[in-house]
Amino acid sequence: MDSRSTEKRNPDEQNVALPTAAWLAALAALAGAGPRRLRVLLADRQPRAAWELVMRGGTKGQAHALGRGGAEMLSRWAADAQEFDVAAFWDDTMQRGIGAFWFGSAAFPEALVHDPEPPAILFHRGDPDVIAGPRVAIVGTRKCTRYGHDIARAFARDLSLAGVGVVSGLALGIDAAAHHGAIDSGGAPPIAVVANGLDSVYPASNRLLWEDVARTGVVLSEGPIGTQPERWRFPARNRIVAALSDVVLVVESHVRGGSMHTVAEAERRGVPVMAVPGPIHSPSAEGTNALLRDGCAPACGVDDVLIELGLTAAAQRSSSELRLEPGGLAGDVLATMGWQPAAAEQLLVGVRCSPAELAGALDVLRSTGWVIESEGWFERVARGESSCDH
Amino acid sequence: MLATVSSASLSGAQGWPVGVEVHVSGGIPSFSIVGLPDTSCREARDRVRAALLSCDADWPMQRITVNLSPTGVPAGGAGLDLAIALGILVASDQLKPRCIEGIGALAELGLDGTLRPVPGVLPLVDVIATDTVVVARPNFLEADLVADGQVRAVRSLRELIDVLVNDQPWPAPPPPPEAGDEPQYPDLADVRGQHFARFALEVAAAGSHHLLFVGPPGGGKSMLARRLPGLLPELDARQSLEVSRIHSAAGELLPRNGFIQRPPFRSPHHGASSVSLIGGGTASMRPGELSLASGGVLFLDEMGEFAPSALDALRQPLEDGVVRVARAHGAATFPAEVLLVGAMNPCPCGGAGSPGGCRCSQSARHRYHQRVSGPLLDRFDIRVTVQRPSALELLGVDPGESSGDVFTRVAAARSLAASRGVRANGKLSPTQLEEFAPLSAGARSVLERALSDQQLSARGLHRVRSVARTIADLAGDLAELTAEHVQTALMLRTQPLAAGRPGARLYRKASHG
Repeated sequence: MDSRSTEKRNPDEQNVALPTAAWLAALAALAGAGPRRLRVLLADRQPRAAWELVMRGGTKGQAHALGRGGAEMLSRWAADAQEFDVAAFWDDTMQRGIGAFWFGSAAFPEALVHDPEPPAILFHRGDPDVIAGPRVAIVGTRKCTRYGHDIARAFARDLSLAGVGVVSGLALGIDAAAHHGAIDSGGAPPIAVVANGLDSVYPASNRLLWEDVARTGVVLSEGPIGTQPERWRFPARNRIVAALSDVVLVVESHVRGGSMHTVAEAERRGVPVMAVPGPIHSPSAEGTNALLRDGCAPACGVDDVLIELGLTAAAQRSSSELRLEPGGLAGDVLATMGWQPAAAEQLLVGVRCSPAELAGALDVLRSTGWVIESEGWFERVARGESSCDH
Repeated sequence: MLATVSSASLSGAQGWPVGVEVHVSGGIPSFSIVGLPDTSCREARDRVRAALLSCDADWPMQRITVNLSPTGVPAGGAGLDLAIALGILVASDQLKPRCIEGIGALAELGLDGTLRPVPGVLPLVDVIATDTVVVARPNFLEADLVADGQVRAVRSLRELIDVLVNDQPWPAPPPPPEAGDEPQYPDLADVRGQHFARFALEVAAAGSHHLLFVGPPGGGKSMLARRLPGLLPELDARQSLEVSRIHSAAGELLPRNGFIQRPPFRSPHHGASSVSLIGGGTASMRPGELSLASGGVLFLDEMGEFAPSALDALRQPLEDGVVRVARAHGAATFPAEVLLVGAMNPCPCGGAGSPGGCRCSQSARHRYHQRVSGPLLDRFDIRVTVQRPSALELLGVDPGESSGDVFTRVAAARSLAASRGVRANGKLSPTQLEEFAPLSAGARSVLERALSDQQLSARGLHRVRSVARTIADLAGDLAELTAEHVQTALMLRTQPLAAGRPGARLYRKASHG
């Protein structure tokens, strides 16, 4: 009986009850509808009206505003829109635990309200209320070194502990390290902005991290469910990362790359950019070092970032940093290793000991958390009291 | 009339006795071979006919039937030519039956009647039970190895007929070579620097532990690997016979002075198919590179470039020490007692040999690492990262230790292993390890920690223990294993290839730390 009555219900009647977000989600789901094209469709119109206009094939003005191929795009969208079930799409979105706020809604993040290019709609998974208080974006290369990885993680951990929300893009490398650090600290919840729809995970290897961020913080996306991580979506995502943040911190970056785009977006918005200096020989630090050369503020410690945010330097140190460095052969091994990964051969020659002695020292260092072995290399991961970050 | 001559045919590396029965009778002139002959055997008719005519013998214009017994076993190879020719001569009354009494024949015939050598003569002669076996002169030395004084070599069918008919003395055998030509392996003294890799090489040689070198191109991985056979002891009599047999069956040249005594070194190109590695083939069961390296070193250079299926085919033979190849027309068992040495770059661009030097994307590296499967990687007891030696070391005049010095220690360690009833410590079973590799309290705690850190699997635990036993033997510590021995074994067993999905490892650390 019930099912029959549902079948009989007029679709239009059903759609009357749909929230604004549902119409916006449908508009955003149109193929190739990026932030700029959505603004054209939504100019001076309510989302529902805009959708109905799309179904009718749009206006000449819109075709002109969309630029080259605008008319074809509108006719393609009209065909797609007539097939599209807005209510079912919105139902699906809700059922996946995905919420949304749109430009003009009360919940819309304040940082984005005055943005030159605000997203028309922003989907979220997790707790959207965590977008409050000071925020720092930690961005950098996907192909990071251990140095960059450790720094991103340590900065994120200490910033979170100081109550600063860490914003990043959930990509591999620096992004992932930053989210890991923020989650580990148990401090301010992590905030992620991704380029694809919130129903899937990209890159897939970040699934566990993705779920952790959604559980403890929030994952945001401009794209509705089903959105693929197309190339053009990443720069668009970067603009939101920059817009949401009070400071953009670049940990490691090649001369070209997504993080440099985030820096450009931050500069457009007057958001301060800071960079962590890297080794001058390292290709993965060329971008950050170039930023520093161009006058960007260096971040040599968490306190530098906190001061830039106008907060007092009060970062907590993890217990490992208060330990005394080991002495004896283990100390020599640590000193020979420095902060670069080292193969056993290097250590053997540098310390001038037998393989058995080296094995003993490395085992002690490894079991006490000073050194890890990664892909055949031994790397120092913990700081001691005798060395200082700033 | 009927005549029977003994010969043999090859299946895999194994000889099978074949009785060649020739029947010549009245009827329409014809020639047929029965008893599952292969193609080269079928073609014997034309060769034998021409050879007989070249030797002024007659080709009987009668009905000739050749039967290869046992008839159920496929027989093949041109090595049966001589036996067929002798059979025809007797069956057509050109030779008295008593002339070929106690004579076996094993040679291919040329159209002019010369005797040509056949591959695998060593296992073949071994199974012919007659008092005398006639082979081609180039085969003499090899054949004489297994059948002392039983083998005769002649140049041609004419010469043989003269000996058999006129009771002339057998022609003198070819003289033994003056000097051996066993391969001389390069010396370890040529390698500059690489202290750690040398140490790994020594442990691998002493314990017969499979060894993996990972390092940038030009780091000296191949150079080191090629010096490994020079550190291995000579083969014992049983191994020597087995290895020589395999090489003979594969048609490889044996050393001129006799058996193969130095451990072989095989380095197949990375284009090798799995059949060429483990053996097989359609027409005849040819032993693969794995078996040709048996008793010595199988070196897989550029291991990441081999077909993953070819690499994985090695897994089970490495465990069992033999490889059983089964095909529709038969099965063969070859030895596979190799010391496997692999060498590969850390990533496709090779730049990951130094920190931050890699230009490959994360997924490209991951794909490259995945070409070596986890189970195969697990079989390498020793995995070391090789770096390019520094300029100072390369140009320094200080030569490294020579192979001879290292060999002395290796031989001592091997004799300790022999006292435990195995050839090398790498062959110790878990039960034997309990007996021969007792752990001190310190060693136990090091292993417990490695296990709880998931640094080691259960199989890995045994392997680490046997490597630690080798390290202790090399150092002359015969008592229980100390913490230092186990720590050194663990250091030799790094994880040079990222296992699992990229990022997974980092994540695991985050959730536990």
